[in-house]
Amino acid sequence: MTQADPARPWLAFYPAGAKATIDSAPFRTVAELVSASARLYGERTAFTVVMPNGMYGDLSFAEIDRMSDAFAVYLRDVAGLEPGDRVALQAPNSLPVPVVAFGTFKAGCVLVNVNPLYTCEEMGRQFRDAQPKALVIVDMFADKLPEALKICPIPNVIVTRVAEFMPAMVKGVIGLVQRYWDRSIPKVEVPHIRLPDALLAGESQRHSRSIAVESYASALDGTSLAALQYTGGTTGVSKGAMLTHGNIVMNMAQTMAFMEGHVKKGEETVLTAIPTYHILAFTLNLLGFFWLGNRNVLVPNPRPLANLKRAFENYRITWIVGVNTLFNGLMNEFWFAENPPKHLRASFAGGMALHGAVAERWLKMTGTQVIEGYGLTETSPVVTGNPIGKARDGSIGIPVPSTEIILINDEGQQVPAGEAGEIAVRGPQVMAGYWRRDDETAKVMTADGFFRTGDIGTMDPDGYFRIVDRKKDMIVVSGFNVFPNEVEDCLVRLPGVQEAAIIGVPDGAAGEAVKAFIVRIDQTLTEDEIRAHCKTYLTGYKVPKQIEFRTELPKSNVGKILRKDLRAEELASLATRKAA
Amino acid sequence: MVSAFEQSLLAIMMAVIMLGMGAALTPQDFKSSLKRPFGLFVGLVSQYGFLPLIGFLLALVLPLSPEVKIGLVIMSCMPGGTTSNIFTYFAKGNLALSMLMTINSTVFGVVLIPLLIVVYAAGLGISIPADNIVRTLIVLLVPVLIGMALRRWNANIGAIVELVGGALGIFFILFLLASWVPRNWQFLMSTPIPVFAAVIGLGLLGFAAGYLFSALLKLHPRNAQTISMEIGIQNGPLAVAIVALSFAGTQQQQIIAVPALYSLFIVINATLLTLWYRRINERSQQKLPDSFL
Repeated sequence: MTQADPARPWLAFYPAGAKATIDSAPFRTVAELVSASARLYGERTAFTVVMPNGMYGDLSFAEIDRMSDAFAVYLRDVAGLEPGDRVALQAPNSLPVPVVAFGTFKAGCVLVNVNPLYTCEEMGRQFRDAQPKALVIVDMFADKLPEALKICPIPNVIVTRVAEFMPAMVKGVIGLVQRYWDRSIPKVEVPHIRLPDALLAGESQRHSRSIAVESYASALDGTSLAALQYTGGTTGVSKGAMLTHGNIVMNMAQTMAFMEGHVKKGEETVLTAIPTYHILAFTLNLLGFFWLGNRNVLVPNPRPLANLKRAFENYRITWIVGVNTLFNGLMNEFWFAENPPKHLRASFAGGMALHGAVAERWLKMTGTQVIEGYGLTETSPVVTGNPIGKARDGSIGIPVPSTEIILINDEGQQVPAGEAGEIAVRGPQVMAGYWRRDDETAKVMTADGFFRTGDIGTMDPDGYFRIVDRKKDMIVVSGFNVFPNEVEDCLVRLPGVQEAAIIGVPDGAAGEAVKAFIVRIDQTLTEDEIRAHCKTYLTGYKVPKQIEFRTELPKSNVGKILRKDLRAEELASLATRKAA
Repeated sequence: MVSAFEQSLLAIMMAVIMLGMGAALTPQDFKSSLKRPFGLFVGLVSQYGFLPLIGFLLALVLPLSPEVKIGLVIMSCMPGGTTSNIFTYFAKGNLALSMLMTINSTVFGVVLIPLLIVVYAAGLGISIPADNIVRTLIVLLVPVLIGMALRRWNANIGAIVELVGGALGIFFILFLLASWVPRNWQFLMSTPIPVFAAVIGLGLLGFAAGYLFSALLKLHPRNAQTISMEIGIQNGPLAVAIVALSFAGTQQQQIIAVPALYSLFIVINATLLTLWYRRINERSQQKLPDSFL
């Protein structure tokens, strides 16, 4: 089933200098990567956190290296963690993130990224599954700790803050504002240590016992577990994808190789406005751009989007890694539209489908491309991308180096050329499996090591892939397949439509009918106008039969529109109508 | 009425707010507004076209003493108030536009205010010396430049100055109101109704004129709100300073009553307007998912 080279027509589109395969990982572990970058780039700024009013704090490559060393010593020789123990990190984008994440890798421990906005129950559930020995949490969210730790106790709690490691004066002002104006700092009611104290303790242990930090991770190799990254996955049950050091280092190298020539070593400033607890910003920004000596501009909270204004004014942003929502939202901000960033080279969009209309408008406004990539948490995350300058509208691009993709049917057989099938991926970025969920792992891995993504795709004859939809979101109208993405993309091209979601609803005659949920910018927009617009671009059966206007759409806490929630609402209201 | 101590407090307040304002601005803000000067143009026309006319008409129709008329003309010819930015900030309006309008009207005021004052004073048969005005306006612009330089030099210091400028501004306003009103209670009780009508009317009609004119020209509602706030809120402390520099004795105290009363009521009215605008703007903000990716 392995594809031979003639079956990889996409290689023709690789950027000059990029290899078809990456034969060996540039580093054995993520810990090695951090130290190596610090040696190369030393005093240059690696991370800058920017607050909405322009207050900022910097950490250099060398500082990050030193501080993450101290944190590693704290974990192993003060808190007493063993290699392989899990360390949970619950923080918005801020300077503690790289310190804690890199320190965890150096300690030979396993990082568990936790969404800071999780409820007590969600936190508790994730803790119970991952069984972390230590938790690093930002003080703003500490009110949830007593409840969450009741569900699953964690022996070491380390509290940090958004302004951590910023200049003292600024830290003081932000602290006062948060405490007395926003009133966003609750009392921490569980035994804990503050992150700076933990670093001091680690640092002094290291000196007094002359500990060689490298020794902590010296027994690890590419197959060792680096992170548990939680995901709803293809089946909806929350579970931890086991990402190894090899997975993460390789995916970083695969993705950066793919941008060969467009990311200049030590010259880029990348805007990190999407959360680093998500695998996309984690692998690309925190590691990929860091590896190449570039500066990350971390924005703790991109909502409202006006919070990004100072970051754009004060720094020469050359790259943005974001999602459709971010790119679209930015263009609707007057300050951005009037002064689009001048030094931007290109942007990378992932996480969800990039609407063609958004990419076109972005190109017009900024003169640069947003290239769409595709991937999943289980693939660390990048699987495909559009090569810069050779992006194809509506396509997720071509596989990154060393990545094989096949399209298969429900029986696991490859579908004939040109037909749609489930995208299955094999490569160094594919996870080791789900944490303590062999049953779930078995559902997604084929016998010969391909990971089934649950996304239905097609391949152009020359090797570009397209997602036609999620397996379970496809609507069948009188035997014709309707893919929600296509209809949604058409709807959002209509000025006056802000967002749209498409689901299938039971329909006597046709089996299923297309129903659109629309958030309007222009309140005068009518159903007839929308249908007329759709009819000019879509075949009849794809045009929404039912249209409902909403003021907002249900979204996951990472911003994906939840079609399943809309479907559930719809079915529930149908049932009550029937009962009545 | 307005003691020497209060006058110097007002002067410090203006300087601090102007410094904070400068620290909040980047050259990009200037470029952005010069690229589309329409908003600033609308502001300038409202500021020096409509408002002095409103002041003049009020002075013409209401039964007022010559001193109050002098005060009213000076008040209505003032540039945009430094406090308008604080109100715009809380109203979630277009802060950059507000600040630029304040600075813009202060710069253009150097030429326009003496001209307007001479014309309208002649129309009312009163006389107002204009030479102090120009000097005061120029001095007022210095802190803005210092603030901008600070931000350029270090964004952290700029942000702190911006924050402190706003906070001190609010503190000064509250302190002056709280200390001035009780001490002048007798004066407030004995002031004739037409004087209240004039000082309150000037602010309210200014809000209305600014909003209607911008709305008529189809500016974005947020900008229309910002312009209305900017036009309605005149630079009261500046008027106090100018009157203090240009007149003496009892005449000075009688004239100074107008900017003092105006400032008192504009704070109250602008607060109400801010709450209203804020509600509108909060509703119209782009809705984004809780934490988006």
